Amino acid sequence: MNGDPPQRLVTWALATFHATLFVVASVLFAYTRGGLGSLLANLNTLVGLGLFAALWATTFLTTQRALEGIDVLGTMDDRAFVRRVFRWGAANGMAFLAVLAVVFLVGSLAAIPAGSGPGFLLFAAFAAPFALVVSAAVGGAVGAVLGVIDLGLVRLARRLSAENN
Amino acid sequence: MDVHLLHLAVRWLHVLAMAVALGGAALVFVLAARARQIGVPAVALLQLAASYEWVFWLAAGTLAMTGIGNLGAFGAGLPSPQTGWGTTLVVKLSVVVLLVMLSLPRTLAVARLAFAAPSHVADVLRTLYAFTSATFALVVAIAIWLAHG
Repeated sequence: MNGDPPQRLVTWALATFHATLFVVASVLFAYTRGGLGSLLANLNTLVGLGLFAALWATTFLTTQRALEGIDVLGTMDDRAFVRRVFRWGAANGMAFLAVLAVVFLVGSLAAIPAGSGPGFLLFAAFAAPFALVVSAAVGGAVGAVLGVIDLGLVRLARRLSAENN
Repeated sequence: MDVHLLHLAVRWLHVLAMAVALGGAALVFVLAARARQIGVPAVALLQLAASYEWVFWLAAGTLAMTGIGNLGAFGAGLPSPQTGWGTTLVVKLSVVVLLVMLSLPRTLAVARLAFAAPSHVADVLRTLYAFTSATFALVVAIAIWLAHG
Protein backbone atom coordinates (compact mmCIF):
# COMPACT_ATOMS: atom_id res chain seq x y z
CA MET A 1 0.00 0.00 0.00
CA ASN A 2 1.37 3.41 -0.97
CA GLY A 3 1.27 6.69 0.95
CA ASP A 4 2.00 7.99 4.45
CA PRO A 5 0.30 6.41 7.51
CA PRO A 6 -2.67 8.87 7.67
CA GLN A 7 -3.29 8.42 3.91
CA ARG A 8 -3.19 4.62 4.30
CA LEU A 9 -5.68 4.87 7.17
CA VAL A 10 -7.97 7.06 5.01
CA THR A 11 -7.85 4.51 2.15
CA TRP A 12 -8.58 1.59 4.49
CA ALA A 13 -11.42 3.48 6.23
CA LEU A 14 -13.05 4.72 3.01
CA ALA A 15 -12.88 1.30 1.33
CA THR A 16 -14.37 -0.52 4.30
CA PHE A 17 -16.93 2.25 4.78
CA HIS A 18 -18.09 1.88 1.17
CA ALA A 19 -18.31 -1.93 1.23
CA THR A 20 -20.00 -2.04 4.66
CA LEU A 21 -22.49 0.77 4.04
CA PHE A 22 -23.43 -0.65 0.63
CA VAL A 23 -24.06 -4.15 2.01
CA VAL A 24 -25.85 -3.14 5.25
CA ALA A 25 -28.04 -0.58 3.44
CA SER A 26 -28.89 -3.17 0.74
CA VAL A 27 -29.79 -5.77 3.40
CA LEU A 28 -31.96 -3.22 5.23
CA PHE A 29 -33.71 -2.29 1.96
CA ALA A 30 -34.25 -5.93 0.93
CA TYR A 31 -35.50 -6.89 4.41
CA THR A 32 -38.07 -4.08 4.64
CA ARG A 33 -39.29 -5.05 1.14
CA GLY A 34 -39.69 -8.67 2.29
CA GLY A 35 -37.22 -10.16 -0.20
CA LEU A 36 -34.31 -11.02 2.09
CA GLY A 37 -35.56 -14.41 3.38
CA SER A 38 -35.88 -15.96 -0.08
CA LEU A 39 -32.52 -14.48 -1.12
CA LEU A 40 -30.78 -15.89 1.96
CA ALA A 41 -32.45 -19.28 1.46
CA ASN A 42 -30.61 -19.58 -1.87
CA LEU A 43 -27.27 -18.37 -0.51
CA ASN A 44 -24.82 -20.76 1.12
CA THR A 45 -23.21 -19.22 4.26
CA LEU A 46 -19.67 -19.85 3.02
CA VAL A 47 -20.47 -18.37 -0.41
CA GLY A 48 -22.04 -15.32 1.29
CA LEU A 49 -18.94 -14.77 3.43
CA GLY A 50 -16.72 -15.25 0.38
CA LEU A 51 -18.71 -12.78 -1.71
CA PHE A 52 -18.50 -10.10 0.99
CA ALA A 53 -14.75 -10.72 1.33
CA ALA A 54 -14.41 -10.41 -2.48
CA LEU A 55 -16.42 -7.16 -2.53
CA TRP A 56 -14.30 -5.83 0.34
CA ALA A 57 -11.09 -6.70 -1.55
CA THR A 58 -12.17 -5.23 -4.91
CA THR A 59 -13.48 -2.10 -3.15
CA PHE A 60 -10.17 -1.69 -1.33
CA LEU A 61 -8.13 -2.02 -4.54
CA THR A 62 -10.35 0.38 -6.51
CA THR A 63 -10.49 2.90 -3.62
CA GLN A 64 -6.71 2.81 -3.46
CA ARG A 65 -6.52 3.69 -7.17
CA ALA A 66 -9.29 6.31 -6.90
CA LEU A 67 -7.47 8.16 -4.11
CA GLU A 68 -4.10 8.28 -5.88
CA GLY A 69 -2.96 11.92 -5.87
CA ILE A 70 -6.02 13.09 -3.90
CA ASP A 71 -5.44 14.66 -0.49
CA VAL A 72 -8.68 13.85 1.33
CA LEU A 73 -7.33 15.27 4.59
CA GLY A 74 -6.23 18.55 3.01
CA THR A 75 -7.72 20.49 0.13
CA MET A 76 -9.21 18.64 -2.83
CA ASP A 77 -11.28 19.35 -5.92
CA ASP A 78 -14.74 17.98 -5.05
CA ARG A 79 -15.80 17.48 -8.68
CA ALA A 80 -12.58 15.65 -9.54
CA PHE A 81 -13.14 13.45 -6.47
CA VAL A 82 -16.70 12.49 -7.51
CA ARG A 83 -15.55 11.87 -11.12
CA ARG A 84 -12.77 9.62 -9.80
CA VAL A 85 -15.08 7.60 -7.50
CA PHE A 86 -17.61 7.26 -10.35
CA ARG A 87 -14.94 5.86 -12.67
CA TRP A 88 -13.45 3.51 -10.06
CA GLY A 89 -16.92 2.56 -8.84
CA ALA A 90 -17.62 1.33 -12.38
CA ALA A 91 -14.33 -0.61 -12.31
CA ASN A 92 -15.32 -2.09 -8.95
CA GLY A 93 -18.68 -3.18 -10.35
CA MET A 94 -16.96 -4.99 -13.21
CA ALA A 95 -14.33 -6.55 -10.93
CA PHE A 96 -17.01 -7.86 -8.57
CA LEU A 97 -18.99 -9.20 -11.52
CA ALA A 98 -15.87 -11.06 -12.66
CA VAL A 99 -15.62 -12.70 -9.22
CA LEU A 100 -19.33 -13.57 -9.33
CA ALA A 101 -18.93 -15.00 -12.84
CA VAL A 102 -16.03 -17.24 -11.78
CA VAL A 103 -18.02 -18.57 -8.78
CA PHE A 104 -21.12 -19.08 -10.94
CA LEU A 105 -19.25 -20.74 -13.82
CA VAL A 106 -17.25 -23.08 -11.59
CA GLY A 107 -20.41 -24.04 -9.67
CA SER A 108 -22.41 -24.57 -12.85
CA LEU A 109 -19.68 -26.56 -14.63
CA ALA A 110 -19.38 -28.82 -11.59
CA ALA A 111 -23.16 -29.37 -11.60
CA ILE A 112 -23.72 -30.20 -15.31
CA PRO A 113 -23.39 -33.86 -16.30
CA ALA A 114 -20.22 -34.98 -18.09
CA GLY A 115 -20.53 -34.93 -21.88
CA SER A 116 -23.10 -32.13 -21.97
CA GLY A 117 -22.83 -29.66 -24.84
CA PRO A 118 -21.09 -26.29 -24.71
CA GLY A 119 -24.45 -24.41 -24.81
CA PHE A 120 -24.05 -23.09 -21.30
CA LEU A 121 -20.58 -21.65 -22.02
CA LEU A 122 -21.82 -20.10 -25.27
CA PHE A 123 -24.67 -18.42 -23.39
CA ALA A 124 -22.20 -17.10 -20.77
CA ALA A 125 -19.92 -15.72 -23.50
CA PHE A 126 -22.90 -14.03 -25.20
CA ALA A 127 -24.24 -12.50 -21.96
CA ALA A 128 -20.86 -11.35 -20.61
CA PRO A 129 -20.58 -8.01 -22.53
CA PHE A 130 -24.11 -6.97 -21.52
CA ALA A 131 -23.48 -7.96 -17.90
CA LEU A 132 -20.24 -5.97 -17.90
CA VAL A 133 -22.03 -2.83 -19.13
CA VAL A 134 -24.77 -3.20 -16.48
CA SER A 135 -22.24 -3.87 -13.69
CA ALA A 136 -20.20 -0.82 -14.74
CA ALA A 137 -23.32 1.37 -14.74
CA VAL A 138 -24.46 0.10 -11.34
CA GLY A 139 -20.94 0.36 -9.88
CA GLY A 140 -20.50 3.88 -11.26
CA ALA A 141 -23.87 5.02 -9.89
CA VAL A 142 -23.18 3.51 -6.45
CA GLY A 143 -19.69 5.04 -6.53
CA ALA A 144 -21.07 8.50 -7.37
CA VAL A 145 -23.69 8.33 -4.58
CA LEU A 146 -21.05 7.17 -2.08
CA GLY A 147 -18.70 9.90 -3.34
CA VAL A 148 -21.30 12.59 -2.57
CA ILE A 149 -21.86 11.07 0.91
CA ASP A 150 -18.05 11.04 1.37
CA LEU A 151 -17.84 14.75 0.57
CA GLY A 152 -20.41 15.57 3.26
CA LEU A 153 -18.63 13.40 5.82
CA VAL A 154 -15.20 14.84 4.89
CA ARG A 155 -16.60 18.34 5.55
CA LEU A 156 -17.92 17.16 8.92
CA ALA A 157 -14.49 15.69 9.76
CA ARG A 158 -12.79 18.98 8.87
CA ARG A 159 -15.19 20.83 11.15
CA LEU A 160 -14.60 18.34 13.99
CA SER A 161 -10.83 18.68 13.76
CA ALA A 162 -10.57 22.36 12.76
CA GLU A 163 -12.48 23.74 15.76
CA ASN A 164 -9.80 22.53 18.04
CA ASN A 165 -6.68 23.37 16.05
CA MET B 1 -18.02 -28.81 6.33
CA ASP B 2 -20.32 -29.17 9.36
CA VAL B 3 -22.94 -26.40 8.93
CA HIS B 4 -23.55 -26.18 12.70
CA LEU B 5 -19.83 -25.67 13.33
CA LEU B 6 -19.67 -23.04 10.57
CA HIS B 7 -22.59 -21.07 12.06
CA LEU B 8 -20.96 -21.30 15.50
CA ALA B 9 -17.67 -19.97 14.09
CA VAL B 10 -19.49 -17.10 12.32
CA ARG B 11 -21.27 -16.13 15.56
CA TRP B 12 -18.04 -16.35 17.56
CA LEU B 13 -16.28 -14.07 15.07
CA HIS B 14 -19.24 -11.64 15.16
CA VAL B 15 -19.17 -11.40 18.97
CA LEU B 16 -15.35 -11.09 18.99
CA ALA B 17 -15.42 -8.22 16.46
CA MET B 18 -18.11 -6.43 18.46
CA ALA B 19 -16.16 -6.89 21.72
CA VAL B 20 -12.99 -5.48 20.15
CA ALA B 21 -14.79 -2.50 18.58
CA LEU B 22 -16.83 -1.60 21.67
CA GLY B 23 -14.03 -2.33 24.14
CA GLY B 24 -11.52 -0.33 22.10
CA ALA B 25 -13.81 2.69 21.82
CA ALA B 26 -14.52 2.58 25.55
CA LEU B 27 -10.78 2.34 26.31
CA VAL B 28 -9.94 5.39 24.15
CA PHE B 29 -12.87 7.28 25.74
CA VAL B 30 -11.73 6.51 29.31
CA LEU B 31 -8.10 7.43 28.54
CA ALA B 32 -9.18 10.67 26.80
CA ALA B 33 -11.49 11.56 29.69
CA ARG B 34 -8.74 10.99 32.29
CA ALA B 35 -5.79 12.13 30.14
CA ARG B 36 -4.97 15.17 32.27
CA GLN B 37 -5.26 13.31 35.60
CA ILE B 38 -3.07 10.38 34.59
CA GLY B 39 -0.76 12.46 32.37
CA VAL B 40 -1.27 10.90 28.94
CA PRO B 41 0.44 13.11 26.29
CA ALA B 42 -1.67 14.27 23.31
CA VAL B 43 0.63 12.50 20.84
CA ALA B 44 0.27 9.15 22.62
CA LEU B 45 -3.49 9.57 22.80
CA LEU B 46 -3.66 10.27 19.05
CA GLN B 47 -1.45 7.27 18.26
CA LEU B 48 -3.76 5.07 20.30
CA ALA B 49 -6.84 6.54 18.57
CA ALA B 50 -5.28 6.05 15.11
CA SER B 51 -4.45 2.42 15.97
CA TYR B 52 -8.01 1.92 17.14
CA GLU B 53 -9.34 3.30 13.82
CA TRP B 54 -7.47 0.59 11.89
CA VAL B 55 -8.97 -2.07 14.15
CA PHE B 56 -12.41 -0.43 14.12
CA TRP B 57 -12.76 -0.70 10.32
CA LEU B 58 -11.48 -4.29 10.36
CA ALA B 59 -14.13 -5.05 13.00
CA ALA B 60 -16.82 -3.13 11.07
CA GLY B 61 -16.21 -5.15 7.90
CA THR B 62 -16.09 -8.39 9.89
CA LEU B 63 -19.34 -7.49 11.68
CA ALA B 64 -21.11 -6.78 8.38
CA MET B 65 -19.80 -10.00 6.82
CA THR B 66 -20.65 -12.24 9.78
CA GLY B 67 -23.91 -10.39 10.45
CA ILE B 68 -25.15 -11.38 7.01
CA GLY B 69 -23.91 -14.90 7.77
CA ASN B 70 -25.99 -14.91 10.98
CA LEU B 71 -29.09 -13.80 9.06
CA GLY B 72 -28.30 -16.44 6.43
CA ALA B 73 -28.65 -19.12 9.11
CA PHE B 74 -32.38 -18.20 9.29
CA GLY B 75 -32.80 -18.74 5.53
CA ALA B 76 -36.45 -18.67 4.43
CA GLY B 77 -37.45 -18.83 8.13
CA LEU B 78 -36.38 -15.22 8.69
CA PRO B 79 -39.25 -13.48 10.61
CA SER B 80 -41.12 -10.84 8.64
CA PRO B 81 -40.30 -7.13 9.21
CA GLN B 82 -43.89 -6.69 10.49
CA THR B 83 -43.21 -8.86 13.58
CA GLY B 84 -41.78 -7.43 16.82
CA TRP B 85 -38.47 -9.21 16.13
CA GLY B 86 -38.42 -7.85 12.57
CA THR B 87 -39.09 -4.28 13.70
CA THR B 88 -36.24 -4.58 16.21
CA LEU B 89 -33.93 -5.87 13.46
CA VAL B 90 -34.84 -2.87 11.28
CA VAL B 91 -34.02 -0.55 14.22
CA LYS B 92 -30.70 -2.37 14.78
CA LEU B 93 -29.67 -2.17 11.11
CA SER B 94 -30.66 1.53 11.00
CA VAL B 95 -28.50 2.27 14.07
CA VAL B 96 -25.64 0.32 12.43
CA VAL B 97 -25.97 2.46 9.27
CA LEU B 98 -25.87 5.61 11.45
CA LEU B 99 -22.85 4.32 13.39
CA VAL B 100 -20.93 3.45 10.20
CA MET B 101 -21.76 6.81 8.60
CA LEU B 102 -20.65 8.82 11.62
CA SER B 103 -17.52 6.72 12.12
CA LEU B 104 -15.94 7.91 8.87
CA PRO B 105 -15.72 11.57 10.01
CA ARG B 106 -14.32 10.34 13.34
CA THR B 107 -11.55 8.43 11.55
CA LEU B 108 -10.79 11.36 9.22
CA ALA B 109 -10.76 13.79 12.17
CA VAL B 110 -8.28 11.57 14.04
CA ALA B 111 -6.08 11.36 10.91
CA ARG B 112 -6.19 15.17 10.50
CA LEU B 113 -5.44 15.78 14.19
CA ALA B 114 -2.40 13.51 13.89
CA PHE B 115 -0.68 16.23 11.83
CA ALA B 116 -1.00 18.89 14.54
CA ALA B 117 -1.57 17.01 17.84
CA PRO B 118 -3.06 20.04 19.64
CA SER B 119 -2.75 20.02 23.43
CA HIS B 120 -6.53 19.88 23.98
CA VAL B 121 -6.98 16.89 21.65
CA ALA B 122 -8.28 14.88 24.63
CA ASP B 123 -11.51 16.94 24.63
CA VAL B 124 -12.19 16.15 20.95
CA LEU B 125 -11.40 12.45 21.36
CA ARG B 126 -13.52 12.20 24.51
CA THR B 127 -16.57 13.49 22.61
CA LEU B 128 -15.95 11.34 19.51
CA TYR B 129 -15.41 8.10 21.43
CA ALA B 130 -18.23 8.76 23.91
CA PHE B 131 -20.63 8.82 20.95
CA THR B 132 -19.05 5.71 19.39
CA SER B 133 -19.13 3.76 22.68
CA ALA B 134 -22.74 4.76 23.42
CA THR B 135 -23.96 3.85 19.93
CA PHE B 136 -22.11 0.53 19.99
CA ALA B 137 -23.60 -0.22 23.43
CA LEU B 138 -27.07 0.47 21.99
CA VAL B 139 -26.40 -1.93 19.08
CA VAL B 140 -25.22 -4.61 21.55
CA ALA B 141 -28.34 -4.13 23.70
CA ILE B 142 -30.59 -4.54 20.64
CA ALA B 143 -28.56 -7.58 19.50
CA ILE B 144 -28.99 -9.22 22.92
CA TRP B 145 -32.74 -8.57 22.74
CA LEU B 146 -32.85 -10.13 19.25
CA ALA B 147 -30.92 -13.19 20.41
CA HIS B 148 -32.80 -13.80 23.66
CA GLY B 149 -35.91 -11.59 23.65
